[in-house]
This record gives sequence, structure tokens and C-alpha cells, in this order.
Amino acid sequence: MTGNGVFTCGQFRGIVAELALGLLSARERAEAMDHLEHCPACREHVHELTATSDALLGLVPGSEPPVGFEDRVLDRLGLGSGRRPRQGGLWRRFALAGAAAATGLALGGGGWALGASVGRPAPVAPIVSPAHPGLRTADLASSGHSLGQVYLHTGKSPWLYMAVDAEGHSGTVHCQLQRADGSTAKVGSFALNAKGYGSWGSPYPAGSSQVTGVRLLNPDGTVLASAAFHHG
Amino acid sequence: MRRIGISLERVSDEALLAGLMTGDPEIAVAFVRRFQRRVFGVAIAVVGDVQLAEDIAQQTFERACRHAQVYDPRRGSVPTWLAAIAHNLAIDAVRARKATPVDPVDLENMMETIADTPERHALSAETAVELRRVVGSLPREQARAVVLAGIYGMTAQQVADFEKIPLGTAKTRIRSAMAKIRASLAIRQADP
Ligand SMILES: [Zn+2]
Repeated sequence: MTGNGVFTCGQFRGIVAELALGLLSARERAEAMDHLEHCPACREHVHELTATSDALLGLVPGSEPPVGFEDRVLDRLGLGSGRRPRQGGLWRRFALAGAAAATGLALGGGGWALGASVGRPAPVAPIVSPAHPGLRTADLASSGHSLGQVYLHTGKSPWLYMAVDAEGHSGTVHCQLQRADGSTAKVGSFALNAKGYGSWGSPYPAGSSQVTGVRLLNPDGTVLASAAFHHG
Repeated sequence: MRRIGISLERVSDEALLAGLMTGDPEIAVAFVRRFQRRVFGVAIAVVGDVQLAEDIAQQTFERACRHAQVYDPRRGSVPTWLAAIAHNLAIDAVRARKATPVDPVDLENMMETIADTPERHALSAETAVELRRVVGSLPREQARAVVLAGIYGMTAQQVADFEKIPLGTAKTRIRSAMAKIRASLAIRQADP
């Protein structure tokens, strides 16, 4: 496609590397964007060169930061020196800013979607008496087939995360918790892409009864897959 | 069903990033520990000043917290994402400072490092080996141009001034080098 924007494809190819490397002036970048809006081929080209630029950065050697770096970062995040959770820290404001940025989304259900623009950062889970600390993982299975993995972090601010690869399924799915006392609770929902892939994480209320299972539900309430956790 | 008690050290990068949003200091510590070398490495390479690099690395983790919910795994791994954030911040800092961006000695060291260093975090070993091979096989002036532009964030004009070459030549060198590197990565992806 040519001639829709300020640039032709040929002209665009002349600056695409500099665009991907972030070297263009604001004005040049705006002109480039004009072209990209109308040209999927050049868009693809930019994506590839951006990945190239990222890969190049991957060759820069790692380097140990100065002593005390970790503590200073945590202080900056309002999380104290590692073991002293401070309430109302910076990170909470970030979460709120994120929530504001994701306006237009229903406030029901918590969680944030990774890899999708839906979802919102969930509020802080209430701090309760320390539950069983540690992290567990279980297969998310459907009639014997693994469709992914669930991570359950049962610390004082419990959260879960799942990665789903369910070919043949797409669209919204709901996450449901099952507890030892027989109760169930929806934690939130997220979208599987056209290939059935999705990943999602969310804090969840600690509750008084342990989580024994996590289910992935179709919109009609049928079970797409489930994971079982046994606490020892 | 499998039941494995696993420590935070063994959680996937994506899961750790997701957990970061709970505000749990334990998760934040694990996250910072896992990626601080990568993040600080990029910052110090670009700005060459420990204090400024530390500030940039701190800002990078702040941003990671703030934007954890918009991280898109299809666009790259978590370390790649963090390196890109650190790189953008570092380039902004260098441009704001208007200092000569690169000490020629640093550039030489970086060229050597990129061609030789075996230790890697952000790339799979095979990708890094291939990438290093391609960068190493570029004509010297193209490799310099792409490192100056891609790592030190010099514009084509700055590369031209630095190398004392016409602007058009600088642009061509950057473009050619990027095209060759891209092609080699594309071949790798097509032939896993
Ligand atoms: Zn085009």
C-alpha cells in the first residue's frame, strides 16, 4: 500500500530502522505513524525491527548494582526494607493509577489480564492472619489433558496466576475458587485469544478456609478445566 | 494433579510480575533480585555513571510495578521488557544531560563485550550466540553504527558527527546493520 500518509512505503523503509531504534524526532515519528496507520506491511516491518532492537539490548552484559540497591528500590516502592510492609505505599498508588487508566471496565471481578488490554489491577487483599505461606502449582486439566498451570501463593496477601493454552477455546473465561469448606467464589475473568492462549493473575481474599481448587468456567457456567490443590 | 511446594525463586518471570501487584514485599524482593543485574547493566552501559544508573534502575522497577498489568508476553520476555524500559529512561537521561554520549574507550569495550561475553540473561543461549555471530560478521563500521544507535541511543546525526561521516552514510550503516540482524533472527524463528 502506498501514498496514504506523508510517506510512501519506499520512503518509509528509509527511516524504519531509526523509528524502531527510537531515534526519530517527534515530528518525523508523527509522520511515520501516519503511514503506519494505513500500512499493515510496514507495521509488521516495524515490529520485527523493534524485536531486533530489543534483542540487541539483550547483548549488553548484566552488571551488579551498588550494595543496598534492593533495599532502596523497596523503599522507593513503599515496601520498606524487604520485611516491613508499609501500607499505602507507592505501589498502591500505582495500582490505583492503573485502575484509573483502565476505566470503562466493569468493576466486578478482580485481577488484571496480562497480554490483553482488559482487566484492572485488583485492590489489595485484606491482610489476615498468616495463612500457609509458600507457593504451589497444579495442572489445569480437562479430562486428563493439561490445559495449563495454576500458581497459588497462599501468603498473607494471597494471589494466583495462571497460564492457559486451550486450543479451540477463545473469549472470556471466569476463574472460580473452591475452598475446603465447600464454598466457591468467582475471582475474576479474562480473555483467551483466538489460539486459546491467555495468562492472568489476581489477588484473592484470604478467607477463613483453604483453597482446594481453581476452576476455569465457560461463560455458560460449564467447567473448561480445573486444578486441585492439596494442602499438607 | 501435581502438588509441588515451590519457592519464589522458581516461579516463572510472568507469574512473579503478576504477583508484584499484590504489594507483597517478599515478591518484590524476589523480582528485584532476579532482574537487577539486567536492569542495572543496561543503565550503566548507557549512562556510564553509577549514581545516575542506579536512579534509572530504581525508576525502571517503579515503572514495572506501575505497568505490570499492561505487560504483553507476546511482545517479549519480562527481562526484555525491563531492559527496554531501562534503556528508554537511560537514553532520556543522556539526552537531557546533553553530554557527549559515549567515551570512545567505552565503545571499544562494548564492541568487544558484545562479541565475546558468554553470560546472558535476556536472550536464549542460541539466540545470543547467533546474534553475536551476526554482529561480529558485520563490517566494522556497520557494527559500530548499530551499537552507537541501538545501545547508546545516538541519532543518525550524532553517529555521523561521532564517526565524522556524512548523515546519509550514517543512516545507511544503521539501516544495513539492522536489516542483517533482523534477517538472521527471522531465519532462527522460521527454523526452530
Ligand atoms: Zn508501507
